[in-house]
Parts: sequence; C-alpha cells; structure tokens
Amino acid sequence: MSLDTAPSRTVTAVRRRERRQRSWRRLFVGTAALAAALAVWEVAAYAVHDAVTLPTVQETVRQLVHYLAAPYPQVQGKTLVTDALISTGRILAGFALGTVTGLVLGAAMAGVRVIRELADPIVGVMRPLPPIAFIPLLVVWFGIGEASKIALIFFGVLPVVTIATLGALDAVPDEFTHASRSLGASSFHTMLHVRLRAAVPGVVTGMRIAMGGAWTSIVAAEMIAATGGVGFLILQAGNYLQTPLIFSGIAVIAVLGFTFDGLLRLLLRAVDPTARR
Amino acid sequence: MTERSAQVVEEPVADKPAAVRLRDVGKTFRKRRRETTALEGVSLDIAAGEFLCLVGPSGCGKSTLLSILAGFTEADTGEVLVDGRPVTGPGPDRGVLFQTPTLFPWLTTRQNVLYGPRARRALTPDVREEAAELLETVGLAEFADAYPHELSGGMRHRAAFARVLINHPRVLLMDEPFGALDAITRAGMQRFLLELWQRRRTTIVFVTHDVEEATLLGDRVSVLSGRPGRTKAVVDIDLPRPRTYDDTETLAFVTAKRRIREVLER
Ligand SMILES: Nc1ncnc2c1ncn2[C@@H]1O[C@H](COP(=O)(O)OP(=O)(O)OP(=O)(O)O)[C@@H](O)[C@H]1O
Ligand SMILES: [Mg+2]
Repeated sequence: MSLDTAPSRTVTAVRRRERRQRSWRRLFVGTAALAAALAVWEVAAYAVHDAVTLPTVQETVRQLVHYLAAPYPQVQGKTLVTDALISTGRILAGFALGTVTGLVLGAAMAGVRVIRELADPIVGVMRPLPPIAFIPLLVVWFGIGEASKIALIFFGVLPVVTIATLGALDAVPDEFTHASRSLGASSFHTMLHVRLRAAVPGVVTGMRIAMGGAWTSIVAAEMIAATGGVGFLILQAGNYLQTPLIFSGIAVIAVLGFTFDGLLRLLLRAVDPTARR
Repeated sequence: MTERSAQVVEEPVADKPAAVRLRDVGKTFRKRRRETTALEGVSLDIAAGEFLCLVGPSGCGKSTLLSILAGFTEADTGEVLVDGRPVTGPGPDRGVLFQTPTLFPWLTTRQNVLYGPRARRALTPDVREEAAELLETVGLAEFADAYPHELSGGMRHRAAFARVLINHPRVLLMDEPFGALDAITRAGMQRFLLELWQRRRTTIVFVTHDVEEATLLGDRVSVLSGRPGRTKAVVDIDLPRPRTYDDTETLAFVTAKRRIREVLER
C-alpha cells in the first residue's frame, strides 16, 4: 500500500529553515521599528528643547542606569530594581492565586450544573468591572500593605481565567470524548487526557489576557496606596518633575510586561502544536 | 431479512469479526418541546465479516444509528446486539471513524495511533512495532512525528484509520468517512479500505450518501427511508470480489447502482 508520500524529511527541513528565516526577519523588522521610534523621540526632544517636558533618549538612559542601583527618593527611597521586584512579587502572588482559583472554579462550573448556575451571574457581574474600582475598598479591608495589592490582582485575574477555562472546556467537541471512549479509554482517563488537555491552550490564552490586566491594576494601586513598587516610583518622579525617571519606570514596566507575556507565549507553544509557527 | 444473518451467537474471540443485530430500534430526540423521531423500528442483521453499506436521505437517522451502535447514544426502544451482547457504551471492540477525522491535535501521528493501547495500559513493545507497521501501511511512516495540523486532509483520515485499526476492532463503524475528500483521495481511500477488508474481514457498517460508493464497497446495501428512518430494503450486491475502482464501469455495476437508486427514490 503506497499512497502519496512526499519525501517528508526534506520537506520538514525546508520548512524549518523557512521558519527560522522568517523569525530572523521578524526580529530584524521589530528592532528597526523600535529604533525608528527612539529616533523620532530623540528628534522631538531636541525640537522641544525642555528636559522636563521631553528629555533626550541618552538622558533617560543615563538616569535609568543610575537609578537601577541608586534609591529614589534619596531618603527612604528604593532602587528601580527593588521597586520592580516588589511589583513583580505582587503580580506573581496574585496571578498564581487567581489562576489556580479560576481553573478550579471554571472546571467546577463546566462539570457541575448547580455550580454553573450559581457562579454564572456573579462572574458575569464581576468581569466587566474594572478591578481598580475596588482599590479603596481593598485598602479599607486589608490596609496599604501587600495583602490589598495581591487581593486586587487576584480579583482581576479570577474572572478572566474562570471564563477562559469554562469557555475552553465547553468548546471541547464531543467527537474528542467519543473518540477517546471508543478507543478504549475510561471516562476518567478521557476527562483527564482529552477534555482537560484539549482546554489547556484556551486557558493559557486567558492567562495571557489576565496578565495584561494585572499590570494595569498593580500600577494603579501603587499610585493610589503604596510605599513601593514601580507605580509608586513613577508617581514620586512625577511629583518632582523627574521626567527621565518617569520614562525609566515606564520602560521597566514595558520590559517586565513583555517578558511575562513572552513566557506565557512560550507556554502556549509548548502546549499547543498549532501555535508553533 | 436474509439467510446470511448470523443467528448463532459465538463465543467472542479477540480479533474475530462480530455479528451485529438490530431489532426494532427507535430513537426520538426531545428538545425544548420539539420532538424529532430519528429512527423508528429499524431492524437489521449484519453477518460477521460482512461489509454493509447504509444509504438514505439526509436527516433520516444514519448517524444516529451508528452512534447507537457505537454506544454514544442510547436507543429508546429495541435491541442492539454485537455478538449477542447488548451494547451498553462505547468500547474498543467497535472502531469508529467520523466524517471528519478527530485526531487529538496535541499528539503526533504516532502518539495518536498509540492512544488506545496507552489508555488501556496495553502499550507493549509489540504494539509499538505494530503501530510502526500500520503507519507504514497507511503511508504515513515519514509523518509519524508530525502533528495533525501538518497533515493533509487525506493523511488525517489515514491516521485516524490507523488509530482505530491498532485496537483490532471486531466491527468498524464508518460515518461518511470519505465524504469531505476530493475524488482522487477518495478513490485511494476506497481502494485502501477494500484491501484492508479483504485481508482482515472485519465487519463494517459504512454510512454514505454516495450510491456508487455503496455499490463499490458493500456486500449489501441497506436503504433507509426519510425521517423517521426505517429500513426500506436491503439490496444484495453480487459483484465479484476483490473489487477495484475499474469495476465501476461494468454493466453489472451500473445495474446494481440503478437498483439502489430506484429503492431510494421510491
Ligand atoms: N443530538 C440531537 N438532538 C436533537 N435532534 C437530533 C440530534 N441528533 C440528531 N437529531 C435529529 O435526528 C435526525 C437524524 O439525524 P442524523 O444525524 O442521524 O441524520 P443523518 O441520516 O446522519 O443525516 P446526514 O445524512 O445529513 O448526515 C435529524 O432530524 C436530526 O435533526
Ligand atoms: Mg450523518
């Protein structure tokens, strides 16, 4: 029996090379776009000629490097690195708690009718609410310490991951479970290795969305009620018209946000072969 | 119905084809106060090792019937026996092939094929070797480590086929498996199925819209009426075996085809 079989090894090799070329190209174009944006900034800075309104790129970089290790404000201040670690710690703690709870809640809603009917309206009401609306309330409840920040992230991440999990589980086609059962798998094995497994890419996509929202919330919270974190630093810098430092803080958030999204994208590629291109 | 139906209940032996017996099978779907009677009083006997094709107008309950045989859906009335035992749920003794191949997208071709044995904790080196042979047979040896989205439509069908065949099902249930394929790939799959059946003599229940396909493949063709589905007639196809695609041009073939079409349009 020989149906059409292309010499796949060469096909795969060619495809792999093409993919590598494409990713190099993308990297190159992306770097060029960033460089162009910096060039526009630099030209604009010379045109404005006012370091408070718009500092030059080199001045911003100089201050960024300086405050990486030097505290700001000088009295009782923290370094950029410390502030970044504080914000990251809050994000990770709230995100981990929110994701785990969302996974469990979403799976329970998908599996148990009563839980779905009970939780559906609550999640539905919570989701469109901007988490930052809860900041004053959380401060009243938990003070301005870590607990209120982690709770804020948690309540932002929870509905997003819950809905993503529920949606992904609902979207698993019956054909998958049918195929699994008729191949001899038990219903437990099917639940674990087919239904839950098929939902993983959708859940990770939900986690990516939740991570984006988490950065918005944490920066807002640190600006309203905190004594540390990148948001707090940016606010302080703004109060003293330290524009280069504001830009530095924003740059740090950009790098961290990009890094975490990149990690989640790697996770998505690991769990979803169709995402590898 | 016919004398060829196997009335004798044999002791089931793994790997031996099984006989299928349907008696007065009925199924009504109830949804939001609307009732759809998909099947009503369907009786059918399929001998062990027989290739039976099922044709009928769209919506007459062919898929429902197959799903009842597979154990995904329960019949409201009647009896469904595979080798004398009532069907109570899905199982690896009845291999199912859907219209669209439902390979698991997170597994490679090889892992998909090994899914059944692995899930049943029956994954031995022998089974792995058999999987490699099967992949060779269906022409996918070089794509063993490719993921489903990297395969063409026809290749996915063949992979799904291998995934079922490794379980040595005693009955194959196929629901318009080649319906979505282009003419050439489809002819290739039909040839492959005929060769396979010639070798293994598995009992096959094959649903199709295509009268020519039914005539080419089947020992008998069961024609269902419009909804609710009932067996209208069972047409014997007395064409010699082994058959090939060239037989479709012979007079005997065309005559057989016309007979089925007449019953369908009656
Ligand atoms: N899960 C379901 N819920 C409600 N009605 C259903 C369900 N499955 C099938 N039906 C109805 O039962 C009837 C038979 O459906 P079935 O899919 O078995 O038809 P079919 O013969 O396979 O049609 P086709 O040739 O178009 O595939 C149809 O009227 C359909 O609407
Ligand atoms: Mg159908």
